[in-house]
Amino acid sequence: MGVVHGEEMVLNIGPQHPATHGVLRLQVRTDGEVVSKITPYMGYLHRCFEKHCENVTYEQVIPFTDRCDYLASMSMNFGYVVAMERLMDIKVNERVEYIRIIMAELQRIASHLLCTGVFGLDLGAFTPFLWALRDRERILDLFELTCGARLLYNYMWVGGLSHDLPVGFVESTFKFLDYFEPKIDELENILAHNKILVERSADIGVMPKDIAISYGVTGPNLRASGVKWDLRKDDPYSIYDRFEFDVPIGQGLKGTVGDCWDRFYVRILEIRESVKIVRQALASIPKDGDVHQSLPKKIRPPKGSVYARTETPRGDLGYYIESDGSPIPYRLKMRSPAFTALSVLDEIGGGWLLSDVLAILGSLDIVLGEIDR
Amino acid sequence: MTENQQKLIDELVNKGLDGDMDAVNAHQDRMVRAKAKSMIMKIQKGILKRPPLKKISPEEVPNGDIVQNQEKKENKQESTSAKVVRKLLEKFPNEIENEEFDSHIQLKPDKWFEIATWLKSEPELFFDSLQCQMGIDVQDDILESRYNLHSMKHNHYVELRIAVSRSNAKIPSVEKIWRVADWFERETYDMLGIEYIGHSDLRRILLPDDWEGWPLRKDYQEQETYHGIIVPKMKEGWE
Amino acid sequence: MTVDYIFEGLNQMFSGFTGNEIFLIIAILLPCVGCFIFIALYGLVAIYAELKVSSFIHDKTGPMGQGVGLHAGKWGLLQPVADAIKLILKEDIIPSSADRPLYILAPFIIFIGAFVSFVAIPFGEKVIVADMNIGIFYILGIGSLAVIAIILAGWSSNNKWALYGGMRSAAQIVSYEIPAGISLVVVIMLTSSLSMQEIIGYQSGGMFGWILFDNPFMPIAFVIYFISALAETNRTPFDLPESESELVAGFVTEYSGMRYAFFFLSEYANMFVVSAVAVTAFLGGWQSPFPNFLNTSGWSVFWMMSKISLLIFVMIWIRFTVPRLRVDQLMHLCWKVFIPIGLFNVFGVAIWIIVRG
Repeated sequence: MGVVHGEEMVLNIGPQHPATHGVLRLQVRTDGEVVSKITPYMGYLHRCFEKHCENVTYEQVIPFTDRCDYLASMSMNFGYVVAMERLMDIKVNERVEYIRIIMAELQRIASHLLCTGVFGLDLGAFTPFLWALRDRERILDLFELTCGARLLYNYMWVGGLSHDLPVGFVESTFKFLDYFEPKIDELENILAHNKILVERSADIGVMPKDIAISYGVTGPNLRASGVKWDLRKDDPYSIYDRFEFDVPIGQGLKGTVGDCWDRFYVRILEIRESVKIVRQALASIPKDGDVHQSLPKKIRPPKGSVYARTETPRGDLGYYIESDGSPIPYRLKMRSPAFTALSVLDEIGGGWLLSDVLAILGSLDIVLGEIDR
Repeated sequence: MTENQQKLIDELVNKGLDGDMDAVNAHQDRMVRAKAKSMIMKIQKGILKRPPLKKISPEEVPNGDIVQNQEKKENKQESTSAKVVRKLLEKFPNEIENEEFDSHIQLKPDKWFEIATWLKSEPELFFDSLQCQMGIDVQDDILESRYNLHSMKHNHYVELRIAVSRSNAKIPSVEKIWRVADWFERETYDMLGIEYIGHSDLRRILLPDDWEGWPLRKDYQEQETYHGIIVPKMKEGWE
Repeated sequence: MTVDYIFEGLNQMFSGFTGNEIFLIIAILLPCVGCFIFIALYGLVAIYAELKVSSFIHDKTGPMGQGVGLHAGKWGLLQPVADAIKLILKEDIIPSSADRPLYILAPFIIFIGAFVSFVAIPFGEKVIVADMNIGIFYILGIGSLAVIAIILAGWSSNNKWALYGGMRSAAQIVSYEIPAGISLVVVIMLTSSLSMQEIIGYQSGGMFGWILFDNPFMPIAFVIYFISALAETNRTPFDLPESESELVAGFVTEYSGMRYAFFFLSEYANMFVVSAVAVTAFLGGWQSPFPNFLNTSGWSVFWMMSKISLLIFVMIWIRFTVPRLRVDQLMHLCWKVFIPIGLFNVFGVAIWIIVRG
């Protein structure tokens, strides 16, 4: 396009807006339709999570972690529990480990389904959103079967779980997986290879490797830029090293490596890998074992600190826990992946049209609860 | 490839993955060295699985794998920290403040920017990603800024801490080195009041711009009202 | 024709009455009121159809009622009535910083544009309010009134989002009138007439007498016309001006209640008008597809309505299948793809006519 500078217009996207995945305000400077600078303003959902954690006991922190990334609560719990068990040097038994992995991977599938559906919705495709939600409902039914909650579970406790798997869970999950695998192909066909969607997202918002690493972007966003980094393989926690699965990276099939289409497509591929992991875990889960076996009577970790990272659907979640020997945490910091993903929006969003900015925001898959905590 | 050679290569590979590349480099046989190095690279990329060490047998320890991983992790952490300290002492002699380097390295704030630049560019350390940066209010009037660094290339970590006093809480900003530090430092400033010198746009990020006080400090008192809305006080400890 | 019909009828009924002008006025007013009622009822049916078709595509149930009850009927038939009543009863909010006269004027203009086109639509062999000899030209012309209304709505709302929507829509509608016009030009070249009834009259003789199957350039023209019609009426994949997820609600952001209802009623009315034009020009109008079966004058209304309903169903189907195009892609499609193909069509059909004799 030729360079003609008119007057700059300052536009506010949000805080109430159907496309911003929560309450986020983006102040956008545009010249006509071309965007020159994006400034995110957040904090509308700030609930002082870290300050609260300094006033409640270690067990009571777990429901707080649920509410940070409310679309992937199991993964939030998992990260906290891994960090605490590393700090207190607790070993849980095999059954607990297998159940945790099954729940985390099912949660990953649910979260990625929602993200891909919402990405389509932002671009005007109404139907795949509803199909993705229909399948997500069945996963939420499985969770409800186990712990009674559909969205905020408080399921993984330090040293074990809150409930064991109910009777019939394994069969239900196998039935769900058999039903679900053709649906991923359906979703991919209607969404990923649709010509209009490809035109709207390929070559848009390209994030090169070095910018991704420098900005701390992790998870599917980083993998879409071509960096093969997955905490489940490169820094395995729990028993992830026993499962066989691939780590899909973006290859620029429809455009450049690291564009919106890649970020979106990597998530669809990851759904398939998670299905593989769940199948393997269900096949070899030990039949006996008490999930409450290693729950400590009172959580009093030794003095010290720990930093543990786990892989959530949005990236690397890090918990830095500093304890001073009392039952209440001294300081707990959550390093959330969506926080860093949002910080890269200004870098990759300049120079595109307004509709593209919303496509880029959708492809980064942010959840405001995690950013604001 | 005899069995002995295979065992030797496995041992070297395990040592190398734990951070001790000198053992691999010092081996005489060029063939063994090359095979060990290529195996290490493949394992780091995820193509191969790590060969088990023959030392600990799984029957003795009930949850063999998990204990091994944890031990190796601590070994890795220790030797990375030790390596960083060794190199730091060569280059910046007076900047380290603690004696035991098991978990972290304590630095002085003055030359932090130069140290950080060097940490990122030094080929053997190559910490190209700042995983987490946070602030914490340690007792006795000290605020600390803690950095968890990680290297994508070598897959090792280190934790650095910088302590400043409350009255003069100024630390050089590393925003230009790791771009992610931009928002992390803004958040630490917002919550704890540590000022980062050289930051391009240090303002509050999560709280409104005209909020008063630094909430995560231990002596924080909420303001009475905010634009006419009464700010509720915290409840007492939940036991 | 209907006007003449009613005029003659009234004259016959009250043969001794002088003052034929009153009869003329009544003869003109009655069909117009009939059109208005038709639009209102058709709007209800169209809303219901959209909800139900979309729910089938989305694998959900859509408006339903439990058995025969008054709350929504057995198949949710009272849902659109409930929608209409809700919209009428809503509070009428006019933003204080909006430009009042323009703000109030915009829904009227857009509705006038849609309503006035109805007078030239041939509902059946003898059912047409005004059989003008420039029928198609008239409809194309009146259809542009929507642009003024949308710009007025966007500007007078005093809202950046509405302004964006208004500007985008103006550019879009004005651009897509050209391919639509060019596609209809080939039809006019073939039939040598602009009158709707004459164009339909040309297509007698069953399905293969339709202009669509006349020569190989016609399907291309039909496709171009249909897609341009989607753009004219602001339907997905061209619904950028009212794109829900991007611009909150585009140029109707600040409208609520009955004014909002007018915008959407006129969108459905526009869909009907463009479908009617497509059916007239390409699909044989009220002619029956079978040469000798059910082709009496009484069945003509049925055939016209069913063909129009089929095209409206396809429009709704496309809406829920395809994402939306970005502004510059939309413009690229219009100016760089459709217009060259349309002009090529004109050229090709001209040669065909000459060669055929």
